[in-house]
Amino acid sequence: MSPGRLSHSVAMLLKALSLGYQFGFEIMEVTGLPSGTVYPALRRLERDGLVTSHWEAEEEAFEEQRPARRYYVLTRAGKEAESAATKRYPLLSRLLPEKLVKTL
Amino acid sequence: MSLRAGRLPIHERMLPVAGRLVPSTRRVDWMREWQAEFWLLRHRDGSSSVGLREALSLSYGLMADAAWLRFDWVRLSSQGSAGACLAVLLAYCLVCAGVELVLAGSWHSFARTIAGHFTGGFVFVAVPGVFAAVATYPLRPLKCGDKDPRSARMLSDRTRWSLFLSAKIGLTLTLGFLFSLVVSGPLRMVIGGKADWIELLMWVLFMTAGLRWALLNQEQRCQKCLRMLSQPTRVGPPSRNFLDWSGTELACAEGHGLLHVAEMQGSWCWYDKWVELDPTFQGLFTA
Repeated sequence: MSPGRLSHSVAMLLKALSLGYQFGFEIMEVTGLPSGTVYPALRRLERDGLVTSHWEAEEEAFEEQRPARRYYVLTRAGKEAESAATKRYPLLSRLLPEKLVKTL
Repeated sequence: MSLRAGRLPIHERMLPVAGRLVPSTRRVDWMREWQAEFWLLRHRDGSSSVGLREALSLSYGLMADAAWLRFDWVRLSSQGSAGACLAVLLAYCLVCAGVELVLAGSWHSFARTIAGHFTGGFVFVAVPGVFAAVATYPLRPLKCGDKDPRSARMLSDRTRWSLFLSAKIGLTLTLGFLFSLVVSGPLRMVIGGKADWIELLMWVLFMTAGLRWALLNQEQRCQKCLRMLSQPTRVGPPSRNFLDWSGTELACAEGHGLLHVAEMQGSWCWYDKWVELDPTFQGLFTA
């Protein structure tokens, strides 16, 4: 996916991932995008090699008394696409806050 | 998870329904991911209630996600397959037929044009063309001639191979015929009868290019599943051209076999060699 073809929603998603938001619900909350946009976009980004996913360690989830989550992180290509997207949509940096607290 | 089934919110009731859409290899992971998200929804801010609007949005999200995964799986599994090849050719034929129908103005006129041009010219180009192509086609023996007893397919590999080749040639020729009609129709209005010569030239060109493409495309397919071979790998140094193996190997993505394409044809290798792999190799190819 070339930077020129990144939609605003995908750019927001990449920005959210770069700011430390790691799973679907968290990304939905910070971007305000619906699940019908976020999940298919995450799958597409993963297929295109911009994002990679992994399961959280069971022990970590067990300690917090909740089911394990699937975390998404940017790959090197994803980081490049994110910087291109930030250049294309400069207001994105102001729209999305840095992740400060850990979600439940 | 303490909620009774009858009191589950709509999006949680949709989960198993949407899960059926997800390809089986990814279903368990997908359900687990969504269940973790729903758990968070139930426990955020100490409130377990989800508004109707949010529940509907999540239900739509579930379905959209599952549908995307299914479409992507279909896209990947049909990529390079015989069915996809025939479907694309058929679609092009239908588009050309549609344009010709619009140009003709009525079904009657369309049928008359097709019949007139087919029996009045195209058949005289197509029959010798197909005959020449088949007569000069290097008949390399198919290794997968016998019906695999473990396979649930009704037709043997050899029959499927021949049927696919025939269908592909038929559709390619039909496409060439219809395309030349679409192009020559407007030309006829401008230059009159001279357009017949241009149409004849196009038939010959499409016939030659189409048949060549159909036969070459067939050579690059797996003899078992008819999928396009991929992963070309260079094998052997050029110094072995005359005495030993030097060329390219293409593999079936499903692990059915390898196609050796010699750098130079020689008395020991007149045509590309298909080497069928034992089913035990398939573990190396599937993810």
